[in-house]
Amino acid sequence: MKNSIKVERAKKNITQAQLADLVNVSRQTINAVELGKYNLSTILALKISSIFGQSVDEIFELETSDW
Amino acid sequence: MKTQYLLPNKFKKIGWLIFIPVSLLGILWLIFEPLFEQKLDLLEFNVFALVSGGILNDTYVFQVIENNILDEFIGVLFIISSIFIAFSKEKTEDEFIAMIRLESLVWATYINYGVLILALIFVYDIPFFWVLVFNMFTTLIFFIIRYNWALNNSKKSIENEK
Repeated sequence: MKNSIKVERAKKNITQAQLADLVNVSRQTINAVELGKYNLSTILALKISSIFGQSVDEIFELETSDW
Repeated sequence: MKTQYLLPNKFKKIGWLIFIPVSLLGILWLIFEPLFEQKLDLLEFNVFALVSGGILNDTYVFQVIENNILDEFIGVLFIISSIFIAFSKEKTEDEFIAMIRLESLVWATYINYGVLILALIFVYDIPFFWVLVFNMFTTLIFFIIRYNWALNNSKKSIENEK
């Protein structure tokens, strides 16, 4: 799964730590999601999207390897 | 995130405060056990035994026996403190940490029984008894090592990002 969290963070000018606080998870979690090392839960995906004011599929995108 | 069956975060510190002295005492007990058994009369108590008995004598049930309670004391505190360390919440507990915890628990169970299978095949008699003694504690120990290692790796990954 690809994601555009890093880009969205840059647009909003917030750090991984700030985003982590906003959605109430640890910094490691945001880091691991951003690097594609961890597939996050639906709830967390919805929260992150809502912080950036976008829908989930604008931020997270399926890759062929996910099928 | 709501997590089931985990202890509050402060139990981790309490766990370490008990675990370190009890481990040291445990190591001393292993080295000086025969000496302790003879000299520490003050730790001799009458205890209730659900089952007791030796290789050479009969098995008794529901008996009061005399016993040095030092090893029971060390064993119980070691297990309780390990559980405190292993199963306390992190300051920010979340789904990613829950995944690390689960993976580490699976890993620790495999390693623990892997070691036990090797010991079953290659270790006999009294040394095997000692393997069983250690095996009571090793699942928790392997878990604590693996979990903290994995958690640390994920923290290091953040530092590299900067």
